Amino acid sequence: MVFVRPHTPFFNELFPCDLHTQSIGGGGRPVPDNRLLVPVAESSTLRQTVEYAVRTALEGTGSGYLEFVYVHSPEVSDERLGDQAEANIETVTALLDRITVWAEEDAGDNSKELTVESTHVGRDRYLFSPGDVGTALAAVANRNDIERMVLDPEYNPGVGSPLLRPLEVELTRLTDVPVEEAPVQRQVRRPPLLLRSSSIQAGALFFVSFMFYQVLAGTFGLFDLVTGAISGTIVAVSLSRITFNHDPSVSWIGRLARFVVFVPYLFWEILKANVLVAKVILQPGLPIEPRLTRVDTAVWGSLPVTTLANSITLTPGTLTVRVEGRSLMVHTLVPGAREDLFDGGLERAVRFVFYGRNAMSMPTPRERDDTTILQPRDESKSLESDGGPHSSGKTAGESGGDEQ
Amino acid sequence: MIEAARDGAIVAFVLLGLFFTFVSTAGVLRLPDIYSRAHTASQADTLGAGFTLAAVALAIGFETGSYKTVLLLFFIFITNPTAAHAISRAAEEQGIEPWTTDDDQTDEELYRDSKLETDGGDNE
Amino acid sequence: MMPILFLSGDAMTDVFLLAAAVFMLLATAMLYRVIKGPSTQDRVLAVNVLGTNTVVVLALLGAGLDVPSLLDIALVYALLNFLMSVAISKFTVEQGGVL
Repeated sequence: MVFVRPHTPFFNELFPCDLHTQSIGGGGRPVPDNRLLVPVAESSTLRQTVEYAVRTALEGTGSGYLEFVYVHSPEVSDERLGDQAEANIETVTALLDRITVWAEEDAGDNSKELTVESTHVGRDRYLFSPGDVGTALAAVANRNDIERMVLDPEYNPGVGSPLLRPLEVELTRLTDVPVEEAPVQRQVRRPPLLLRSSSIQAGALFFVSFMFYQVLAGTFGLFDLVTGAISGTIVAVSLSRITFNHDPSVSWIGRLARFVVFVPYLFWEILKANVLVAKVILQPGLPIEPRLTRVDTAVWGSLPVTTLANSITLTPGTLTVRVEGRSLMVHTLVPGAREDLFDGGLERAVRFVFYGRNAMSMPTPRERDDTTILQPRDESKSLESDGGPHSSGKTAGESGGDEQ
Repeated sequence: MIEAARDGAIVAFVLLGLFFTFVSTAGVLRLPDIYSRAHTASQADTLGAGFTLAAVALAIGFETGSYKTVLLLFFIFITNPTAAHAISRAAEEQGIEPWTTDDDQTDEELYRDSKLETDGGDNE
Repeated sequence: MMPILFLSGDAMTDVFLLAAAVFMLLATAMLYRVIKGPSTQDRVLAVNVLGTNTVVVLALLGAGLDVPSLLDIALVYALLNFLMSVAISKFTVEQGGVL
């Protein structure tokens, strides 16, 4: 029989791995050989990758161990998002169940030598870049003594655009575990789900670029319609894969509507703060008091963070210098702007746009103790301990760069 | 009557636009370091351009030209802060220290320090 | 009829052309920062502001002289201006690896 350990549904600590290596027949047997880790996500070549991984795990004389890991994408990974997160967990559970069944099928007669486990990570963290995903996978690999990793060539964990440094490079850098790509045939007929989703993306992009063309042309004549359709098709076919990470869905209409409400608010904030800064700049004495600060914001995902960072920059007196995950490094010009930033009005508004009215009632960054003033420099040293693993080290290293 | 109100609004918008662009220019010329200059460059300038383009859109009225102006406004509001962020991030990665009130260094000195640091880093 | 600068007889045209002239003056003042620097980023920033001013001037001229096609040029210029700032910023950081 195949030993299947069900994935644990909820994780609360950092990259938790409460999956123990349990081989069949109890504690007496040695740890099985051929220990493989396979990161999985919905992809057209997933089925073939599973098949290859099972074959590889069963090679040789020893028994095989297979671990399938699903890495959550940042947009839907937070429990505070309620229903959306729950729905996401169900989808992931279904996917992992399906993979387990596939692995059992492929193992066939040899199934008694194969241990299959599945887990998902990243629900409690916000994995933004291939580097973050690599770190999470490496943590799982280290704890379970993984010997090899098999990558699905079409694997895309939904973080960052496909133009970023690929995950494979990151994994090679982060672990000693050899990484190989599953030799799959890419030209296989795609599952209907993927075909449909990418055509939705292409359709949305076609619509946007076609309308843009018509606005620029302005006449809606036959010539414009035809040339617009041609260029819209070229744009949609060539660029739809790097324009959207996810399918545009119904929730986007709500977001768009709330964004329209957000714009006047943002404009009012801009106007208010601009008058404040104009007063400061036009004074002969130039009474500015610039400080570099860091705010760990309570928004998740690349688009919300981008919106927030840009809104912060647009509001005078505050300028986003660096973004690392949810942690923004903000340069503030005058104390008044700094107070506004720490009160988190914009942050609340961005949460309203992306997550709806319920998400607005969260403590301000000041109350959450997520704010730090990085200057003067000796203060920045003391924060190395309490910050995130990536950001604080880098920030301190750079702002204290003249020590060497 | 409506004509006069529209003309008045146009003149008011143009004046506001000129005022904020003036603030932005004064800021970029007067402020002590790259980060604070990026503030006014991205913000006062965006608002100044926004007001002036709103005046242009009002003057053109409901034609294709005004849609283009609105589109232009939209682009400027998205691209200006992004560009300012990119520029200040580049400055930060080059190791240029932000100026503070306790600093008696001028920005030329801060810049020279950062140059020395970067060169030192290269030699390692 | 091509209006003569400031003497066109149409109040709105005058307003737009005057505003364009003031914008040009402010843009010229910005050249000080472009020349003086001191860092590359200061120059890029100043050129970016100059570019935004140019876009506004193009739009003002388009409205003032009644040349709608200037708005198309302004649109393209705004996007190129943004691309320039981002490309140079990335270039100075990554030393050649722009994309």
